[in-house]
Amino acid sequence: MIGKVLIYISFAASILSITGFLLTHTGRDKFLNMGRIFFHITSIGFITASLYLLYIILTHQFQFAYVWEQSSTDLQLPLLMSTFYAGQEGSFMLWAFLTAVIGIFLLNFVSKGDRHEPQVMLVYTLVLSFLALILILKSPFNYIWEAFPKEVEYGFVPPEGRGLNPLLQNFWMSIHPPTLFLGFSSLTVPFAFAIGSLLKNEYSKWVTFSVPWILFSGGILGLGIMMGGYWAYGVLGWGGYWAWDPVENSSLIPWIINVASLHTILSQKKTGGYKKTNLILSILAFLLVLYSTFLTRSGILGDSSVHSFVDPGALVYLVLVIFISSFTLISLAAIIFRWKSLKDLRTESSKFLTKESFLLIGALLLSASALVVFVGTSLPIVSQAKVEANFYNKMTIPIAIFLMITMGISLYIDWKQTELKKFTSNLILPGILSLIMTIVLVVIGLHDPLYIIFAFVSLIAFFINARLAVKVIRNGKLSFGGMFAHIGIALFFLGVIGSGRYSEETNLSLERGVPKEAFGYKFTYSGATPFMDANNKRDTMYAFNVTVEQDNKEMTMRPIMFVSTFSNGIMKNPDIANFSYKDLYISPMSLEEPDLYPKEAQYDIKKGEKKKIDDLTVEFVDFDFGNMQKGGKEMASGNYTLGAILNVSDGKTTETLNVKTQFVNGQPSPMAFMMKDNRNYEFYFLNMSVKGEEAGGTTARIVVLDRNKNYNTTANEVLVAEVSIKPFISVLWTGVVLMFVGFIVSIFRRRKEISMKYPDVPADNKTEKKKK
Amino acid sequence: MTNKIKIAIGAVIVVVFIVVGFISFMDNKIEYASFSDAQKKLKTVEVKGSWVKEKDAKYDAAANTFTFYMKDDSNTEMKVVLDGAKPNNFDIATMVVAKGKVKGDTFYAKDILTKCPSKYEGKGEDVKNTYKQQ
Repeated sequence: MIGKVLIYISFAASILSITGFLLTHTGRDKFLNMGRIFFHITSIGFITASLYLLYIILTHQFQFAYVWEQSSTDLQLPLLMSTFYAGQEGSFMLWAFLTAVIGIFLLNFVSKGDRHEPQVMLVYTLVLSFLALILILKSPFNYIWEAFPKEVEYGFVPPEGRGLNPLLQNFWMSIHPPTLFLGFSSLTVPFAFAIGSLLKNEYSKWVTFSVPWILFSGGILGLGIMMGGYWAYGVLGWGGYWAWDPVENSSLIPWIINVASLHTILSQKKTGGYKKTNLILSILAFLLVLYSTFLTRSGILGDSSVHSFVDPGALVYLVLVIFISSFTLISLAAIIFRWKSLKDLRTESSKFLTKESFLLIGALLLSASALVVFVGTSLPIVSQAKVEANFYNKMTIPIAIFLMITMGISLYIDWKQTELKKFTSNLILPGILSLIMTIVLVVIGLHDPLYIIFAFVSLIAFFINARLAVKVIRNGKLSFGGMFAHIGIALFFLGVIGSGRYSEETNLSLERGVPKEAFGYKFTYSGATPFMDANNKRDTMYAFNVTVEQDNKEMTMRPIMFVSTFSNGIMKNPDIANFSYKDLYISPMSLEEPDLYPKEAQYDIKKGEKKKIDDLTVEFVDFDFGNMQKGGKEMASGNYTLGAILNVSDGKTTETLNVKTQFVNGQPSPMAFMMKDNRNYEFYFLNMSVKGEEAGGTTARIVVLDRNKNYNTTANEVLVAEVSIKPFISVLWTGVVLMFVGFIVSIFRRRKEISMKYPDVPADNKTEKKKK
Repeated sequence: MTNKIKIAIGAVIVVVFIVVGFISFMDNKIEYASFSDAQKKLKTVEVKGSWVKEKDAKYDAAANTFTFYMKDDSNTEMKVVLDGAKPNNFDIATMVVAKGKVKGDTFYAKDILTKCPSKYEGKGEDVKNTYKQQ
């Protein structure tokens, strides 16, 4: 009850808050406080509801359907907390929570002086209203008897929950989704500023105000996306950090647009142009977040993504569609309505060699890559098809090459006029350094011409930005954030070149105790060690010990596999050895148990067929289903006894044998049968064979074992693993970290700039001034 | 540079981008198909369907292939040879999506997606099961 009531309160308060801000916008200033107070009630409602959800999770109140579905009593605290957002309802709750918290900071920020407070907050609160609406329809606070009225009687409290999917049971689950959602939520702020400015019809201030927020979104969202990449690479064993999966793509698109807007906003601040561009990009970034939510929540991508989705039901689908379309319509209407006042009033035509042109080129390249990803990701919605990863690689690498050129040389281009001589002389040193480094890379194995160019331009971008960053830091200025982010991106791309284009992989079948060589290493599998993981109390895990030797140095790598009780499937975790310039990656594929019976003693016989086996003639007469119905209940359950009736003749006598096998969970545990007069052969029945099913279940796979014969069997288990070398992948992660640092530094710089340009005015003074 | 030249250059770049994009798009487009469509088309497609559990499925360590039988949505059955090990969650998947090509009477899959909706959403019956276990 409490949770639901809180959401209703938030919803009602958000409507009142919007009304207050709307009246203020139309000139009735006395309603400003109403807007503010009800905004705080809205936020506090969401925050309290979230705390309540956390409380019922931590106290294991399984009478709530969501808590029962997502969590269990055996989870460690961090994972138990993460079940908060493991399901759809909870992830909407998290989104609302973060948006509410950010909103409190935003209200505090815009109420300091004339910062379009009513307009911005009006738009922002409208987003919260929609989130409340979704949470009303898709509530995490439903009782279990409300969720399953037919099966569960009123008042029933399940003693245990279903628990968290083991795929999600690791450190990254605690940190990747909240980071990503923080990025998503924060993109509401630039959107609110953009629409707010359109309402106010004033376009110069918002670009300054929204920059720290845009930087925050860019930094956090970028970090969140790449955390997901690390999760896939380091834990899930997908082999890579990026697969161009629709879910990954859908979070990348708003990030790219956000970064593009950052660059054109710099131009507007300096020159006054790009009003429309900046409004459109800021609006677009937010709409793309909604689009991403729609793609991942509506179940529409069900067939084309490795991520699993649940169909949220027609109602939520509808609300999501209304959510997106209403905000798109509001945005479109606002822009069209204000089109005339958005004209670029500058008369002089700008020169090409100016910073403005290069920022525009950069933003255009970013937008083009976003468009490529958007088109590819959206294809499954409009047709029964999808595109392969190759499409994205082919399209984005040329764009990235031009992007790196722009990102490098633009730093030596001035706002007003660039002296060509000075410009070219600045490029000499980075050019030479990059050339040397590229030659080194070619010598150690970089051969693809496209990638040689890509590496060269990334190195140029790296050296130019690094050189200037050093200069700025020496001068004691804060403006090196952008350069850091650029260095990060350049390193990131160098990592992509190494690990994406030049990773090598091979499949190794490692028989226990028998060494095998690959990539100059010697791999020996020495058996598995069972262990219990603190996060998963239900399953025994197995670490497969693989000794890796090179140049008399030895280490043990331990990829993990286990059968999960939760999903009844095999979970596999890779192990990675990090070297300075490459990763050695072992991903377990399967464990082959030794054959129970030698392959050469196994035979497939059709019903009625006679087969010569050594001295014997074996005829397969029919299956013996006993008193069980063929394909019936017993078979489906996997526990049954099945036999094969064989007529066996050794030339002297003919006997009929009913060779039976008991199946436990579908696995045969065959028993030996022998002829009365000829004790040289053992007969086993294995299963109805694959070939048989095609002909309607008429073939049996049997074993005829000659007791005097020595068979070749593998006595040892075999670990099958994919081993790969990923060059320069650590460069990529370093790039991500540097990029994030760059964003954070820039936030500080831009905040400082705002407080210098627009000193805080206490909110009360302002209203009093207006009254006078 | 006059504005006209700028616009002309811009237009050329945009056209080239769109043309290259379109060609690459068509090249890499994969359609969903049934096994019988796949047999006719002989190009890479994706087939949705389910694993025929009654027939045995085998992983061949030497070749690193996983062989199983799959029934598509129109109930056509075909042998599928996956280049790789048995996918995660294969046993409980309610639906599998195989990407690959038909050669002869076998579907050679490069990649397989498994879909397990029950993974994330509980069913009413499960509530009872937790009850029984206690």
